[in-house]
Order: sequence, then structure tokens, then C-alpha cells
Amino acid sequence: MRTLLFFAAGGIGALLTLAVVPVTAHHAFGSEFDANRPVKFRGTVTKMDWVNPHAWIHVDVKKPDGTVDEWMIEAGTPNTLFRRGLTKQSLLPGMEVLVDGYQAKDGALRANGRDLKLPDGRTLFIGSDGTGAPDDATPKKKG
Amino acid sequence: MRRRFRRVLIPVGLGAASVLVWLVVTATAGQAPAAGRFPPYKAPRLAGHADLNGVWQAFVTANWDLQDHEAQPGPQPEVMGAYGAGPAGQSVVEGGEIPYQPWALAKRKENFEKRMMVDVTDDKKWHDLGDPELKCYMPGVPRATYMPFPFQIVQGSGDYILIAYEFTSTTRVIRMNWKKEAPADAWMGWSRGRWESDTLVVDVTDLREQTWFDRAGDFHSDALHVVERYTPVSPYHLMYEATIEDPKVFTRPWKISFPLYRRMEEHIQLLEFKCVPFTEELLFGRLRKQPSRANR
Amino acid sequence: MSRRFASSIGAALVAAVVSFPAMAGQARKPPPKSAAWTVPHTPWGDPDLQGVWNDATSTPLARPDGVSDKPVLTDEEAAEFQRELAYGLTRDRRDGGAQADVNRAYNEHWMDARRLTVTKDHRTSLIVDPPDGKIPPLVPLSPERQQARAARAGAAARFAAGLPESHEELSLAVRCIIRTDSPPYLPTIYNNDFQIFQSPGYVAIAPEMIHSARIIPLDGRPHIRSTLRQWLGDSRGRWDGNTLVVETSNFRTDDGVIFQNADPATYRITERFTRVGAQTIHYEFTVEDPHTWTRPWTAMIPWTRIDPAEQMYEYGCHEDNFDIVHLLHGARIREKNGETVPKRNPER
Repeated sequence: MRTLLFFAAGGIGALLTLAVVPVTAHHAFGSEFDANRPVKFRGTVTKMDWVNPHAWIHVDVKKPDGTVDEWMIEAGTPNTLFRRGLTKQSLLPGMEVLVDGYQAKDGALRANGRDLKLPDGRTLFIGSDGTGAPDDATPKKKG
Repeated sequence: MRRRFRRVLIPVGLGAASVLVWLVVTATAGQAPAAGRFPPYKAPRLAGHADLNGVWQAFVTANWDLQDHEAQPGPQPEVMGAYGAGPAGQSVVEGGEIPYQPWALAKRKENFEKRMMVDVTDDKKWHDLGDPELKCYMPGVPRATYMPFPFQIVQGSGDYILIAYEFTSTTRVIRMNWKKEAPADAWMGWSRGRWESDTLVVDVTDLREQTWFDRAGDFHSDALHVVERYTPVSPYHLMYEATIEDPKVFTRPWKISFPLYRRMEEHIQLLEFKCVPFTEELLFGRLRKQPSRANR
Repeated sequence: MSRRFASSIGAALVAAVVSFPAMAGQARKPPPKSAAWTVPHTPWGDPDLQGVWNDATSTPLARPDGVSDKPVLTDEEAAEFQRELAYGLTRDRRDGGAQADVNRAYNEHWMDARRLTVTKDHRTSLIVDPPDGKIPPLVPLSPERQQARAARAGAAARFAAGLPESHEELSLAVRCIIRTDSPPYLPTIYNNDFQIFQSPGYVAIAPEMIHSARIIPLDGRPHIRSTLRQWLGDSRGRWDGNTLVVETSNFRTDDGVIFQNADPATYRITERFTRVGAQTIHYEFTVEDPHTWTRPWTAMIPWTRIDPAEQMYEYGCHEDNFDIVHLLHGARIREKNGETVPKRNPER
């Protein structure tokens, strides 16, 4: 455990109560998704809903017996991705994704997308090169 | 003799002319302005353009039905009586009728019949039923303009104009002379504005396909493209026009138009119509632990 | 060393927010002399606040105990402070067990990256008054307010267990009624964006969540009467030099409307917006309620310009709020399977 200069006394736990908005403030994921039901699978994207408050990625997952489960993966607000230069063209049907998350407590085929990756190991949506996003080296034009 | 005559003629002539002028002036002064006509008007300037600032409201009944409609009893008249009844109104559509493709008329009828049906238990069918206005969803464009609520234009000196609507406190940013496309669809669309003389022209694309045009079930697809025109025609009126284009649903583009009226109450301001709490029982009541009376 | 800090604390107590950049320079080389920056004005003569602004930061609202004697840090200290905060806040850590992990959804890049950086002035709290950087001690609650608080705690426990009884037990944020648009404006995990519009006699502030706008008249008209109450209250503004001062009243009395559930009858909030640089607005709020805090307190949060490169986008919320159905429907299914709210919340 690393030594912390400023939070030694209270620890990071204390920090979270001091944080302006605690991580669990508006949506306790633990209230809907089950920490005891981790899921890890590879699937094919059939659709992505670029909506708020949560984007949803629809993923078809082929089971060993050949049947297909239709999962809905909850993601974050797409507005953050828009500001990085991503658009609804950034994840199209047919793309493969690796889902690492937790299943809904009621057993539905729904999970929160704790960690979403592309098959080559890159985190989904992490990059935005060439899209004019703020961390892009290419020059931006107004509008 | 001739000089004397002239001395009489000129004052008589002038007198007659004055009487004539007086007659004309009082005749027209006694008459109300002709409906549908505005004398030529040049709006005051703000930062080089016509100043459209103000609180505005439409007074057509288009939110009930864009096309001709008689007064009607409305839903559940045995409970709502005259409260729920809809007023009559003349079509705001140029030419009277919306040019639907033949298949779309059946869909419009189905929309109307199911306008008050709601079922949110299946995510995939969440938007299949019911008028989005009933559910307090953002009304989209152009419906937001003719909801029976005021809206405010805040126009300054920057690259953006704000339109804030009292209905569900929704807002829309008009990006002036903007080139970039929308990243995804939005309930109030993606609005790019420009000036054509004193008319603010707003090009709206990327509207969510789930919005309706009115309570009659008039609808569109994801190909909807709206071009609005806001033209000041008097200190108290804007003329509003919207051209609607959707090749998936209509046989050709069509246009609506009506005046917008400046709200003139002293200290007028938008108040809140945050209608989400008014719809929660309808949407989520049956999911209560103790189902409410209505939802048992 | 401490004397320098003492004098910097003295400087910090000066009310004018414009002193913050100067104070930040204390431990650093002063910036090179250039033509003095002056506030731009709109064509009708108001200080220009127009644009899109972002207020994300990791600097905590209240000063952590480890730095109680340091209102401002040196460059090295601030870098370490920022590192520790980022370590605590990042969503990319997978340690701490499954309970912690599920709550860290999603990857860090779904969050506002700016929220891992401390404010440029290297303060250790957003609170600037009281000088200790902490929220003042609380006044004991009246019996009614204690009851209300107990009821809220019950609903919160049921929500945390994923067993809310109805939509009414969910927070106003989850119900998509109000979110960061409820004043005072505080940084959050994402969509920390505000667009300011101005016209003669008005300033309009549109926060991203939830797509609303406070249209603030500057003509000195009175508030709407006290019989009219609103979720976001009713705001009136005036210019005090280059500072926009906003007073807001007429809040509804529902739980969660008023900041930290202060007493609607006696709560007051004043906000101040000052353009201090080409890319910066200082946003300051003062709240007071003798029935909640023993004294008024003030925080200052810098806003940074992000347009035209970045924009504010529509934040629809209620329209696609599937989570409410998932939470309620899921709760009913699990209750049928015999689940009950645990006596002690395992996530505490």
C-alpha cells in the first residue's frame, strides 16, 4: 500500500467523503449490479444507443451450445466521448468487444461495462487520434 | 375678381383636402389591422443583426393537431369533462394537408389510437407506445415552438443563441455559422443558424426519431430535416416558418407557418414546467412495492 | 517558510477573488509582464462571460486533515496532492475487491479527465471561508428535520441494497428532475459544463445536466412572490463592477432541492461570477442558514473555457432513463425471491 502524504490520517476512504461528489452519489452501481456475479465474455455489437444518462451497447454472445444471448451493457454518458471527438460512427454493428463487468442483481442479461476492450486489447473508446478531440495533435477548426 | 376667387378657393381647397385626410386617417384609425398583414417593419439591431430577444409564444392549436381539427372530447371524458377537451383549429400546414406516403397514414392512425398507452417494462419497446409529450419527453423541433407554453430567445454577441422553452425546461443551442456535424441524435436536434437579412434561419438535423409533431400522432423518421425561419414583422411579432422534409415518410417537403407573439406582461419570465414528476405514476406506478390504487 | 504561508493565508482571507492568481504565484516565479488583461465587454457594455466553461477539479470541497495548516501548496506539494487525489478518484483501478470494483464503473475515459487535476492556484480546498477550509459546524436539527433525515436515510439504505420501494425513494438526480443545474454549482464526475449566454438585461446560465437554463434578469425587478416556488428557485442578478452577483430564492421545499437539505425558510445563497482571464471565470458561492450551519461559508471554483474546440451537448435524462425500471422491476423480482434489505449496508 503506497504511503500517502496528505491522506495518511483518514486514508483514501476519508477522501471519498470529502470529494465534492462521492462516487456513489447519483447512482450506486452496487445497488443494481451484483459484485458476486462478474461476467467476462466476447460478443458482437448489434447496436449502440448513444443516449443519456447511460449509453447502452447491445451485444450478441454466442454460447457453447450455439444459441445466442442478447446482452445489454450499460456504459457512461456519451457526452464525455463526444468531447473527445467520438461519434455514433465510432462503434458500429458487427464490431467485436470484450466485456468485463457485473451482471444485474435480478438475473437479467444486463451488465455494467466495468471494462470494455477491443479484441486486440485496446480499451474501447480510449483513443481519439485524428478526430479533432482536445488531446489530438491535429489542429482544430471552429465548429 | 380672380384674385378674390383664389383667396377663397385656396383655403376651401386646403380645407377640403384636410377634411379628406382627416376622413382617411380616422377611417383607418377606427379599423383594426388586417389579419395576416404586417406593415413593413425594420427590427432594432443587436451586434449587427435583427434583435430577436424576448419571451415569445404561439397561439395556434397545432399541438393538438397540425391539420384542420374540430373541437373534440379528449381522453377519458367521463373523468375530464370539458377540462380534457381539445379546441378546434385551422391547419397551420401550407395547403392544408401533410403529404404522407400512403403507408404512413395507417401509422399516424395507430399513433393516435395508442397516444395514451405506456409500457416501459421492456427496454427495447420503451419508445414504441404513447405520445412523447404525455411522458414529458423533450418535444423536438418544430413542436417545441407551438407547445402552449412560452419560450425565451437569448441572443447576444457570441457564436450561439439560446432558446429556452418552459415545457420541461428544455433548451436548444443555435450554433451560428457552424460547420461541424452532430455526434449523435438529440431530442432537440442539432441546430445551425445563419442570418438572411433580418431572418434567423435555423437548419435542424439529427433529431431523435421518437418525437411527434402533435397529439394527433403526426410523426417522422430518423431522416427528418427541419429548416426554421424567424422573421421580426412588428415590435410584437415574429413570423415563424418551418419547412419539414423526410423522404421516408412524406412525398415531398411541406411547410407550416404562424405568428409568434411577444409576451407583454410586465416582468414576464419563464416559470417552471418540470413535468417529470407528473408522469412518474403513469410510467412507474405499477412497479411500486405497494401498487397504488390505479395500478392494481 | 511558515511565515510565508501565514502571509499567504492572510492574502487568502481577502474577499476579492481576483487575488487568487496572485496568491498562487507566491511560491512560483511571477509570470512575465505583458499588456494588462482587461475584461472584454459585450456591445451593450456588460462584462463578457459568454462561452462554454468547465469546472471539473479534484480539489476537495473541504480541506483534508493532512493539510489543515496549508491553505495553498507549493508546486511540488500540489503535484503530490494531485497524484494522491487522482489515485483515490481514478476509475481505472481494479483493486479493493469486487464491491469497490463494481462501483468504479466505468473506465476512466468515460469520466471528465479534468476532474483529476487540482485547481491552478493550488488551494487545498474549494472552501475559502471559513479560513480553515472546512464546512462550519452544524446546528442541531429540529425534531421535524431529524425525522425527515431519518426517513431519507431509510430510503437511501433501501436504494443502496437495490430494493427501493417506489420511484419516490430515488434521488432527484436518479429521477432526472435536477442534477448539477441545482445551485450552488459543484464539480462532479462528468459533464461539468456550463454555457453562458448574454443579452441586454439578461445573463443565462445553461448547465449540461439536465438541459435547463437559469435566465437571470438584471433590471432590478423583484423576485416572484413567495407563493411561487421552483426546483431551481428564482434568480435575480446585478453587476458589481466586473462581478455578476446572483441571488436565488423561492426554492421548493422537497427533499434534495435545497443544498444539503438546509431549512427552506432561512436558507440564502449568493453566487458571484467574475471573468478573471481570457480562459477563466471565478465562480464563488456563499451559503448561509442559521438553522443548519453555525456561520455562512464560501467556496470558489475556477471555470475554464473549453469552446470552440469542445462543446456542451444535450443531456436528455428522463427520456431514456431505463435505470429506474431496472431498479424498481429488479427490486420486485428479488423481493419475490425472498431478498430483504440487510440490517447493515455492506458497502459502508
